[in-house]
Amino acid sequence: MWLLLLSTLVAGLPAYASGEKGTPPPPALAQAVPAEQKQEGNLPPVTRDCQVGSTEVVTQSPLPNVMRALRERQKIVILAIGASPIVRRDSNAGGYYDLVEQFLEQTFKGLEVEIVHRGVSGELARDAGARIKMEVALVKPDLVLWQVGTADALARLSIEDFERSLGKTLVWLKAHDVDVALIGLHYIKALTKDAHYQAVRKSLKKVATELGVMRVGRYEAMETISRLRGEQGAPPSRSRMTEAAYECSAEYLARAIATGLFHKDIPKPADKPATK
Amino acid sequence: MPRAPNAVDFWRGFALVSIFINHVPGIFYDQFTHRAVSISDSAELFVFLAGWSMHYVIGNPTRPTPMHHVVFRLGGRAVALYAAHMMIVMLAIAILASTARLLDNPLLLEWHNAAAVFYRPIETHIGIALLSHQLGYFDILPLYVALMLVAPLLAIIDRAVPKLLLPASFALYLASLVVPLTIPAWPVEGQWFFNPLSWQFIFVLGLVLGRDWGIGRWVRQHIALIRWAALPIVIVGMIFVLTGGTWIDPTEVPEPKLLFINGKTFATPIRVIQFLALVAVMSIVYPYIARAIPTVVGILAMLGRNSLEVFCAASILSLVGQIMRYALPDGVWLDTLLVTGGVSLMGMVAWLSEWRARAGTPV
Repeated sequence: MWLLLLSTLVAGLPAYASGEKGTPPPPALAQAVPAEQKQEGNLPPVTRDCQVGSTEVVTQSPLPNVMRALRERQKIVILAIGASPIVRRDSNAGGYYDLVEQFLEQTFKGLEVEIVHRGVSGELARDAGARIKMEVALVKPDLVLWQVGTADALARLSIEDFERSLGKTLVWLKAHDVDVALIGLHYIKALTKDAHYQAVRKSLKKVATELGVMRVGRYEAMETISRLRGEQGAPPSRSRMTEAAYECSAEYLARAIATGLFHKDIPKPADKPATK
Repeated sequence: MPRAPNAVDFWRGFALVSIFINHVPGIFYDQFTHRAVSISDSAELFVFLAGWSMHYVIGNPTRPTPMHHVVFRLGGRAVALYAAHMMIVMLAIAILASTARLLDNPLLLEWHNAAAVFYRPIETHIGIALLSHQLGYFDILPLYVALMLVAPLLAIIDRAVPKLLLPASFALYLASLVVPLTIPAWPVEGQWFFNPLSWQFIFVLGLVLGRDWGIGRWVRQHIALIRWAALPIVIVGMIFVLTGGTWIDPTEVPEPKLLFINGKTFATPIRVIQFLALVAVMSIVYPYIARAIPTVVGILAMLGRNSLEVFCAASILSLVGQIMRYALPDGVWLDTLLVTGGVSLMGMVAWLSEWRARAGTPV
């Protein structure tokens, strides 16, 4: 037990210590808002691999709580829930959520982004609901990133149960001043005709729209990218598609958060043409 | 000859069947397992009974087992558990990979935290060996391994200063909740789903309550009174679960929050208290069940006697069950087939294990 305890301490825990709110703002905070506005028109273009033309990939939504954290603390705490974060092939590249962190920190100079990973792979929406509440209490996040739907679809959970669980948790989060970004189901060619999978996908979109929650449509994005590549005569390999799905989702997500922070109607991230 | 059915083996068999069903998410019969009406579930029961069984190894003050025997036996058990865990994890990975190929669905490669195994195999295989990378639903055995690794130390403390064991365990439990302390996962960021620093308390509770001296003896002497005190807790817990557990808003409770909220990772007090109350109340029923349905009791006790083999089988069968529920048209008929087939196969594994012991098979 002492070995375990030691390894825990060495690994930089306590686990939740970083989730503290209410710390005094740094001196640079006074300049936070002007700094962020200066950046507004300067979002880098969507990378070439992630361009999806006119496909609507992100359901945009304002992020008032993240905005407030940015103003007051110059730091945002993000809780990642749902499927576990996927590590990238390049061992030096960090996880896909690191892309989100880097993007935001580069976009908003002086902003500190902390992502707390509490994903449990294969977790159903109904089980995640209870855990999200506990983690929100412990981590005190400004934003929850929730990869949701895939496990429910594979477990053949009823659509009604899924919608109810998802809706209840989203309402709870809103009521507790936590913004949410949902990351939707994966695109897999073999599942395009799977009625239940498609029903869960549509259900997720419906709930997100009804409750005004940000949603990154990973399925729609990857379906479009796959089609475009096919039309160009260069269909991507399966492993490359998987990697692209995560990289592009991270990019869309980061841009959506940045857009939510600008809080203005700038072009949808995925629509913006690349200059490369 | 295998030992006759007893309450410990019966309840362990019960926990194994519950774990098997609970590990097939969405299955119809999940609503009939005890977690549908209880804050704690079969994981607490399994770990508690593991601690309970440890007192048979340690012996009692009048007839203590030699300490080197205790240490070797517990250490050997940890190695066996570790080997079993490695085997079922590799099998699970192979099952996911072959199903992904068969069904032309690469998404299955990412199921249950398996993605890192395929997309970053070098670090992840190290993580699997170190138990820092765990597949979803394959996370109880790593906890058990961790507990058995420290079990020799617990046995030594128990032998040297018996009165220190429970307070020391409680202190560590409290620290894990208050600080809080946990064990990190790697290479995928996160933490152990079952935090050993917290769950060791349930294990130690099983150990000290299992024996007929010390606090275990005191509990046996006052069990009738304790049951009456425990009954309202069980009932309130039942209402809590049936009403969706929304009475407690985790954000509203005072710090340190883990002392007041329901969290499985940390085996929070609300779970431990409800679990102990449930154990106290249910401890009365075994003799009646044994008389009423001796065949069922016999089968569950057989599962419990061969818990490691059966647990491994149940883990693999529950994964197969999940895949079948995904691949085949769903319905109660399929869930019925999965439960009856799965429990039958678990029974067969237990029977084979005892047959081998009876036959004295050397391999």
